[in-house]
Amino acid sequence: MITIIKNTFREALAKKIFIGYYIFYAIVVLIMIFAVNLDAVDGIVSFTDVQKVIKSVETGFLSLSFNLILFFSLISASSFVPSMLEKGTIDLLISKPVSRFTILISKFLGAVIFVGLSMVFLIGSIWLILSLKSGYWNSSFLIAILSLTTAFAVMYSITVVIGLTTQSSIIAILVNFFMIFVLCPVLSIRESLIFTFVKNDAVQFVFNFLYYVFPKPGEIKDVTNALISEENIAFWKGTVTQNEIGITLIEPSWMSVITSVIFCAALMAYSVYYFSKKDY
Amino acid sequence: MQVIETQKLSKEYSTKFSKQKVNALNDFTFNVSQGEIFGLLGPNGAGKTTLIKILLAITFPTSGNAKIFGTDVTNYKAKTKVGYLPENHKFPSYLTGGQVLMYYGQLSGMKNDNKMTKRIDEMLGLMNLTQWKNTKIKKYSKGMMQKLGLAQAMLSEPDLIFLDEPTDGVDPIGRKEIRDILTEIKSRGKTIFLNSHLLSEVEMICDRVAILNKGDLIKEGNVDDLTRAENVFVISTVETLNMELKQKILAIDQNAGAGENEIHTEAGTDKRNQIIDLVRKNKIRIHTVNQKTSSLEELFINVIKKDNTN
Repeated sequence: MITIIKNTFREALAKKIFIGYYIFYAIVVLIMIFAVNLDAVDGIVSFTDVQKVIKSVETGFLSLSFNLILFFSLISASSFVPSMLEKGTIDLLISKPVSRFTILISKFLGAVIFVGLSMVFLIGSIWLILSLKSGYWNSSFLIAILSLTTAFAVMYSITVVIGLTTQSSIIAILVNFFMIFVLCPVLSIRESLIFTFVKNDAVQFVFNFLYYVFPKPGEIKDVTNALISEENIAFWKGTVTQNEIGITLIEPSWMSVITSVIFCAALMAYSVYYFSKKDY
Repeated sequence: MQVIETQKLSKEYSTKFSKQKVNALNDFTFNVSQGEIFGLLGPNGAGKTTLIKILLAITFPTSGNAKIFGTDVTNYKAKTKVGYLPENHKFPSYLTGGQVLMYYGQLSGMKNDNKMTKRIDEMLGLMNLTQWKNTKIKKYSKGMMQKLGLAQAMLSEPDLIFLDEPTDGVDPIGRKEIRDILTEIKSRGKTIFLNSHLLSEVEMICDRVAILNKGDLIKEGNVDDLTRAENVFVISTVETLNMELKQKILAIDQNAGAGENEIHTEAGTDKRNQIIDLVRKNKIRIHTVNQKTSSLEELFINVIKKDNTN
């Protein structure tokens, strides 16, 4: 298993897209170094205000970039499975005394661990810069490493299934784009917006069904922001409130993380089954 | 000891856009013993690669079963003592030659230690690739890739090696080197399962061959037995045969063919000896007496033609 994971790392590092990925992260880190200036604290702004500012910067950064980082990571790793399935490569891999389960899971874990380490670099660097500049070491921001990696693993299970069945990374990228930027956000606002226009029970049932079945990367981000800001997180269903200007706010819930992880496990179980039965 | 055993293996493929079924293998039963070099022959689409893929559980049979070292091939542990060089293999292009061997060696169950490093160096040396060890394989020629593939298949010192077109793209000197390596492996008691289009090569290396056509096993046996023509003997002489002698020979065997320095006869032992006595009585020296053989290529073409007309 470790051999295949290590080789996935080598494959990732050999891909030019990952070099671009790291250059982009380095630019983000550099922007943070030069743009964030909290040196003028000296008594004028209280430490409590500094904490608030830091938390706002951290949650603001995640709100803006969570889905983009996720999608960029998925694009970068989308070719791992199709390239493994190429004629002449897969034959050799299966001919070794390694189970098909181990081959596929190692490939998946290799991609997840690689992206996880990339998140350590990006989120860790931003956290270090903000902490050094402000003197406020908000370790809860580091949870973003775990949540981004989890969100990647969940969405990458879709890439794995599509890669196995179609051997196309393009289709996987398109489906991920649709899920992250269209379907999942639409399903998230079904109660607060869509159901105010759509009253049909059957349609509402379909929306609810899809919402609970499909992954929720946007809501994983909301849970992360709530953890950073030390706000309440409901277990299953968050309360719906309205703010002063009439915007509906939904309390984040652990349900989004749990159902997303179940979705990932189910898709990976299907992938392993499909891979173990397929002729190459 | 049987290294490979198959029982009524069949494989049926269905084409992607129609319900038409294609039989790649039909009730294929055969065994390969330890220490043999077994050659699998057949025209394109005969089912040769399908058979190798089933034996390595890369493809699953529609019916029947196969065992390697007594273990069902679907159990991945059966492949612990197996090496494989696929046709048109593709190694990760971002690796160097040494890294490729390291990667596949570890997948074969080898430990990443000094012993493995030594073995990698030994294999690269055997294939004349030592100076290319640290070069990315995307710079390798087709022949070098083939040699690296062979090194990969032999790295973990497997007891059974499957080679699918091992000399494909290799120059004549390289082919000779590969043949010598295979013979050397055989002398160490290893079993080789060879699938090659180069019949002359198979004839030179293999002990036993099987000929496949349209998924059916149409001929199987020792190379010597298969290439030996039935009861045709060639008596070659040092001196030239004159017309009078030729007529006397025809009197003994009317079906005999007599040339300037050669007599072809299908006659039995007694008549054959009469012919030899007659020749020697006429002060003509016998150079050799041989049973006529046909090349594997001739046999292959005849057998396939016959099967296709049937």
